[in-house]
Amino acid sequence: MQGDTPKEDLATRSTETAQRFVTLKDKLSNEEYNFEHFRAKHLLSDAQATIEKRGIQPGEMAPDFELARVGGGALRLSELRGKPVLLHFGSFT
Amino acid sequence: MNFIDVVIRQAHPGADVPAYHSFEQKMRDAESYRQEDGIGWPVLVDDLEGTTHQVYGGLADPTYLIDADGRVAFYNMWTHAPTLHEALEELQQQGWRGEVKGGVHQTPHLLPSMTDGWKGLRRGWPQSFIELETSMPGMASGPWLGYQLRPLLAPLTLRSKPLPPSAKLGLTAGAAALLFLGVRSLRSRLAADSGRVRARNKR
Repeated sequence: MQGDTPKEDLATRSTETAQRFVTLKDKLSNEEYNFEHFRAKHLLSDAQATIEKRGIQPGEMAPDFELARVGGGALRLSELRGKPVLLHFGSFT
Repeated sequence: MNFIDVVIRQAHPGADVPAYHSFEQKMRDAESYRQEDGIGWPVLVDDLEGTTHQVYGGLADPTYLIDADGRVAFYNMWTHAPTLHEALEELQQQGWRGEVKGGVHQTPHLLPSMTDGWKGLRRGWPQSFIELETSMPGMASGPWLGYQLRPLLAPLTLRSKPLPPSAKLGLTAGAAALLFLGVRSLRSRLAADSGRVRARNKR
């Protein structure tokens, strides 16, 4: 799994997550997603997403993804099957 | 048990931490994130479009517990250590399979971010501070103040386990008492002010 630090993103590889993204409702464009300025509307959309319970629902299979790993290589979620996983999403800021 | 961190978009951009325009830039921040926060488990980097993040709901700070079969056992929409602690204990009792704690926990817990929210926010200072504070007053200045008082507040705000019920009761009673005293002093001040106004009007 270790190797050179990937120079390209890997999520676009054909995983279930990538397939789901194509038809995702409420999907943001690249500019909207990577906003230059934090605004009240971002708080509001988080509040709305929370109320709607947006995301993968309990009981559903967690969609598989393969992402570049800090330090090199990549990791595929399905490689970890057999043990529980704590999956956290967070920002540097 | 496996822990995974996925680095997402810049939540609070600033001069040194601008919005991402390239994957390399995101990878560099992820490297700093792992180093500065001393993370001992895999740190992954989502693509520039936020494919994985958006499919998983797109929230600012969520955690999923995935069971041994690869199914979502628990969705903590706003990561909260004590809530996750309870969920993990329940999942373990179930042999690491099935749903726990009602499946979804939607409540944002603001207490931990009062002392630790500043860690991320300060990287984008001053832009990150101004933009969050003007979006919702107190959301940036609160964590700044909390960070200064961290040694004092951390035992309360950064618990990994839930507070015992007696402590919760004590805190609620304390907060209610403070509120009562605050309202009383405000009312007596207002009464004194209106008294002065009346006296001035008579003259």
